[in-house]
Amino acid sequence: MAEKIDRHILKNGMAIIGEPMESVQSVAFGFMLPAGAARLPAGCCGAANIIEDWVFRGAADMDSRTLGDKFDSLGLHRISSVGTSHLTFGSALQAENLDDALDLYTAVILQPQLKDELFEPARQLAVDGLLSLDDDPRHKVMLKLKEQFYGEPLGRSTEGEKEQLQSLTAEKTKQIIRDNFNIPRTIFAIAGKYDFDAVCKKLEQFFGNMPNLEQANIEYRESNIDYTHIENKGEQVHIGIMTATAKPQDDDYYDARMAVSVLSGGMSARLFTEVREKRGLCYAIGANYHGLKQAAGIICYAGTIPQTAQTTLDVIIEQFENLSKEITEEEIERAKTGLKSALILSSESSSSRAGQIAGDYYLLGRVRSLDEIKQKIDQTSVESVTQYLKNNPFKHYTVVTIGPKRVNWLNS
Amino acid sequence: MEFKKKILDNGLTIIGEVNKSAKSAAVGFFVRTGSRDETAQISGVSHFLEHMLFKGTEKLDPLQVNQAFDKTGAQFNAFTSEENTVYYAAVLPEYLAEVTNLWIELMRPALRDEDFNMEKNVIKEEIAMYKDMPHFDVLDKGRSLYFDNHPCGQSVLGSVESIDALTAQQMREYFNNRYAPNNMVLAFVGNFDWENVCALAEKSCRSWQAQPVERKTQPFGGSKKTERITKQNLACEHICLVSPGVSMQDERRFAASMLAAIIGDDNGSRFFWELVDNALAETASMQCEAMDGTGAFYSYIRCTADNSEKVLGIVRSIFENLYQKGVTEQELQKARNKILSALVIKNELPMGRLVSLGFNWIYLQEYQAVNDDVQNIKSVTLDDVNNLIKQMNPGNFTKLSLTPAL
Repeated sequence: MAEKIDRHILKNGMAIIGEPMESVQSVAFGFMLPAGAARLPAGCCGAANIIEDWVFRGAADMDSRTLGDKFDSLGLHRISSVGTSHLTFGSALQAENLDDALDLYTAVILQPQLKDELFEPARQLAVDGLLSLDDDPRHKVMLKLKEQFYGEPLGRSTEGEKEQLQSLTAEKTKQIIRDNFNIPRTIFAIAGKYDFDAVCKKLEQFFGNMPNLEQANIEYRESNIDYTHIENKGEQVHIGIMTATAKPQDDDYYDARMAVSVLSGGMSARLFTEVREKRGLCYAIGANYHGLKQAAGIICYAGTIPQTAQTTLDVIIEQFENLSKEITEEEIERAKTGLKSALILSSESSSSRAGQIAGDYYLLGRVRSLDEIKQKIDQTSVESVTQYLKNNPFKHYTVVTIGPKRVNWLNS
Repeated sequence: MEFKKKILDNGLTIIGEVNKSAKSAAVGFFVRTGSRDETAQISGVSHFLEHMLFKGTEKLDPLQVNQAFDKTGAQFNAFTSEENTVYYAAVLPEYLAEVTNLWIELMRPALRDEDFNMEKNVIKEEIAMYKDMPHFDVLDKGRSLYFDNHPCGQSVLGSVESIDALTAQQMREYFNNRYAPNNMVLAFVGNFDWENVCALAEKSCRSWQAQPVERKTQPFGGSKKTERITKQNLACEHICLVSPGVSMQDERRFAASMLAAIIGDDNGSRFFWELVDNALAETASMQCEAMDGTGAFYSYIRCTADNSEKVLGIVRSIFENLYQKGVTEQELQKARNKILSALVIKNELPMGRLVSLGFNWIYLQEYQAVNDDVQNIKSVTLDDVNNLIKQMNPGNFTKLSLTPAL
C-alpha cells in the first residue's frame, strides 16, 4: 500500500509535511530552522550549539525550571541537533501529548527568554562538549574529515571552535537567533499518529504571520586538502577517508548509492571482506553515503593499531580504485535487497520517518514515496553502476588520521 | 498481538509474539552465557565465540555466511554481555524463514583453526578500540571494581593477554558446554507465521543434545572501593559510580528504573538540575542494570578535572538528600511519563520488542505483553521508590574515575 504524504504550506512559506502511520501510538516531529553551522556568520562557529541549549532555559512566561518540568511531564524524548544547514528541535512522544508539546516548542522557538545570566552555562556546556571530543577520536576524525572535505563554510564543525565559542557574547548570539530563526524557510515534519488539520491550524496560528528574513544561501567552495594528521597517544590510528560522489538531487544518485553498497553495504561487501575478513586489519570498518544539498561524498572510517595503519589505508584505497571493476550481478542484487529492506525497516519508526521526509523536502523540494525509491533502486543494473563509476572516477581523496602514527598519503 | 510458545524435547524454548500489522519480523537466539560464566583461563571466550559463529559451519565458509545474510537484506548482528549472547536479525517477512534457517545452521559452527587465528586480530582491534573510548572504558573498569571477585566483574572482551593465550580447543569445549538447547531461547516477533517457523526450528534443532548447564548466581553488595586512574592522553575526567541494585527476578526492578530516571535521566533529573544545568558537568546520567540474581545502579559523569571534587561533593549531597527525604510525587510522575513513552516507542519496532521478549523469557520464563510492562510501571508508588532508596542506599557506592595526567 502506498503511503500518504500530508503537505501544507503556510502563507509565509513555512512548510508542514507529514506521514501518518497507522500501526503506531507514537508521533515524532521536528522543526528544521535554517540556523545550521554553515549559515552562521564567520567567526561564530559553535553558536548553534549554545543556542540549542540557551533557548530551552526559559520561554514565554516559564522560567527554565518550569519549562523543563513541563517538557518532562509530557514524557517527551527531546531530539535537538545541529546540522550543516539546519538547527532542528523535535521530540518523539505518545500521540495524546502532541498538542501540549507543540505549545512548548512554539514558545521555545518564538519566545525564548534568552536571559543574559543563563548564557554562560549554555556556552560552558558547548565548550566542555568540544573538550570531550578529544576523548572520542572516532567521532572527532569524522568531524575533521567533513571539515577538510567540504571546506568553509559547508564543512564547518557542528561542535564549534573553542576560540570562537569563547569570543561569543550573549548579545551577538541573540542577533544570530534574530537573523536565522527564519520561520518562512523552516520545515516542520511529523510522522506517526496525528491529526494533520489540527497541527496545521495550530502552526498557522502561531507561525503563519512571521516575516521572511534575508538569508544568503550556503556557498560551496571545493576543498583540495589531501591529508591532515592529529597526533594522539591512543591505542589506534583512526582513519577517515572521503571522496566526492553524486548529490541526492542528481540523476545518477541511485547509481552512486548502489556503488557505495557494493563497496560497503553489508558484511559481504568489498570493504568488510577485504579489510576485516581476509586480513583481520580492523574491527570497525565501513563506508557510507553522505549527502548535502551542495555536495556529497562517500565517507569511510577504519580504526586499527599503528602497525597496520598504512596497510589498512592502502587496502581501502585499492577497493575504491577497483570498485568499477567486475561488479557482479550478485553484488548488485544484494545491494538492491539491502537498500530496499533498510528503507522499509526504518519506515516503521516514527522518528526515522519524520527525519527522512524532512530531509527529502529540504534536498529535493518534495517527499519521495517508498515506492518511488524502490523503483529507482530496481532500475539500476551492473551496467548503470559500472558506467556511473567509469564516468565519475574517484579523482581526489581527503584523508584524516588521529592517532600515534601518521600514514603516508600524497603530500605527507 | 498473540503470544506463542513451544518447548522441544531437548529443552530448546521457542517463543513468538505475532503482530500481523508489522511491516517486518525479527528473529533472535538468546544464549544464556557470557563473561560471568567464564574462568580466568578463558576470559573473553564468550564474546570471541560470538564472532566465530559468523565464520560458518562445515558447509559454509565465512564469505558464504555474509553473502547469505546480505541476500536477505537483513539487519543483523550479535552482542555479548556478562550473562547473555544474543544473535538477531530484522527482515522483511518474506525473508524470515531464510534468515532463521541461517541462524539455526550457524548455532552449530565449525570453529576452524584458521578462522580462529584470523579473528584473534579483529578481537584485539576491538579491545584497542574500546581503550580509545574512555566513556566505555570507565564503565567497564567501574563494573570490575564494584564486583571485585564476583563473576559479574569479569570483562566481556577479555584482555590482549587472555585472547593471545586462548586456544581454539578451549573455545570448542566452552561451546559444547554452553550452547546446549536447554540453555537457549529462539524468539520471533512481528509479522510471521508461527506454525511455519516452529516447524522449521523443530526440524533443524531437534538433534541438538541437551546437557546440564549451570550458573552460580550469588547476590553481591559491591566492593565499595575507590580508585582514580591517571591516564595520559585524556581531556576530561570520566567518573563511574556503582551501587547495589535489584535483580531481574526482583519485583522492585520497576521501582529501580523509576529511581534511576529520577536521579539520572538526561533531562530534568536531580543530576541534570544540580550538575548539568549549571555546567559543572557536561553529562551526568544513571541507569539501573538488573542482572541474573544481582543488579547495580551505574552513574556516569563527565566533567573537567578541575570540577571533579566539587561534582562528587554535589553527588554525595544528592544521594544524602534522597536518603533523608526521598523523592517527590512530581518527580515520580515525570519519571513515569518518560519511561512509559520510551516503552511505547521502543516496542513499536520488532527489533526493540524482540529484546524485551527474549530477556523476559531468559530471566523469568514468562511472557510480558507491552501492556503488562505499562501496568507494572504505572503501579509503582512513592513508597516503593522511597523504600528502595532506604534498602539500597545509592550513596554507598564504588567509585572509579579516569583522570587526565597533568
